[in-house]
Amino acid sequence: MMAEDFDRILDECIDRINSGDSLADCLSDYPAYSEKLKPLLQSMSDVQKTYTFTPSADTKRAARQKFHAALGKRQQMTPVLSFFKVIPRSAVWATVAVLVLAVVGTLVIQSVLNAPELVPSPDGNFAFLISDEPSDINDFENFDVTILRVELQAAGSKERLEFVPEVETVDLTRLQGDEFQEIWRGHVPAGQYSHIHIYIGEVKGKLGLTGQTIYVKVPGDVVHMPIPFEITVDMVTIYTFDITVVEAGNSGTYILKLRLNESGAWQEQKLL
Amino acid sequence: MNKGNHKNVSTIDEYEIRLTGLYEEYYDKIARYVYVHIGDREEAEDIAGEVFLKALKSLKSYREQGVPMQGWLFRIAHNLTVDYLRKMDKRRSAPIDSVVLLGNDDPVDTAEKNIEFERVTEAMKQLTTEQREVITLRFFGGFTSKEVGGILGKGDGAVREMQRAAIEKLRGTMGVQK
Repeated sequence: MMAEDFDRILDECIDRINSGDSLADCLSDYPAYSEKLKPLLQSMSDVQKTYTFTPSADTKRAARQKFHAALGKRQQMTPVLSFFKVIPRSAVWATVAVLVLAVVGTLVIQSVLNAPELVPSPDGNFAFLISDEPSDINDFENFDVTILRVELQAAGSKERLEFVPEVETVDLTRLQGDEFQEIWRGHVPAGQYSHIHIYIGEVKGKLGLTGQTIYVKVPGDVVHMPIPFEITVDMVTIYTFDITVVEAGNSGTYILKLRLNESGAWQEQKLL
Repeated sequence: MNKGNHKNVSTIDEYEIRLTGLYEEYYDKIARYVYVHIGDREEAEDIAGEVFLKALKSLKSYREQGVPMQGWLFRIAHNLTVDYLRKMDKRRSAPIDSVVLLGNDDPVDTAEKNIEFERVTEAMKQLTTEQREVITLRFFGGFTSKEVGGILGKGDGAVREMQRAAIEKLRGTMGVQK
């Protein structure tokens, strides 16, 4: 018996059983192979029985509601597209012309000022995480850090690639210790990278004791991470940006502190 | 703004409709797929819900390219599962080892189920990562070998071979334990 034939027959039986056919039916169709097929299909059945369960109806309903709410929120944005239908045609062309000029102008300026933007993708080879250490963060009820964009700088070059986080604002009070938040995942060209530049927007926290909102200024609004790392095609590179909030003495002034030792990249096998 | 990633509104609308249509059938399948990997039903259900939210958010990055949308959902499920296991690993716990099935049934029956669960889980742990993916996608995702090949980037012949080797290994391990 050719191994390939057996693989094919086993495969067919698995398909049939998945579609509701019985093990016995499949064995009776292949009597010459049944002695070898039976224990394997029995093992398949054991594995399926062990892990098959019916998810809780309540959890599924709640998840469905969340999904439909998110869907509804997306669809509410669509009416903006019908704006042009309600204004005169000449006005439309004038508006379009202005918009085209504005867009072209913006693109020209962007191409000079900005690095090429990377595309997010759930099966990308690069993920960017934010984490935090338990510290003076406990003084806060919430502490929001907004990341405007992140630039990756290739080693030995000034060339940079940029992405805009899918999750722009993270609450550091929720990311203490081993907790982290993935803010972007996507495809990044393979190669050696020397720096990551993180552009920080608003940083503010609400003090638990007084309810007062504290704003924190990050010098230059950018954090430069001088940790070299490699991105490959077949592995997922996970980069963690670990920051914490500390009070300067007992001054009531808080500063954002980078934890270089806890920051940096590691790689995981990319399976799918 | 990335131009290569633009899709017109009707394509996105169509994807939204397809994704919504997949919800009822694939929520359960994804929950089971995740359960095999993490050994916690409640967490598996939460992750299944998260898969659809993440998919909705990432619809713009979905490309057909031979992998059906349901295969893409399992890719997302895989990534979320890896994230979850990474978190658990950082907390120094081994989810798949420490699982005990809880039930209101007969204690003898529950004990037997726990033993069976441990037996199968131990056998699953002996598989290579790729073999485990093939088994979970075939047994719980309901994909054909060709579709699994599309998801994993392998030929269907290679998937069939991996599948047979994986089941033989499962059989060997489970047989020894019995």
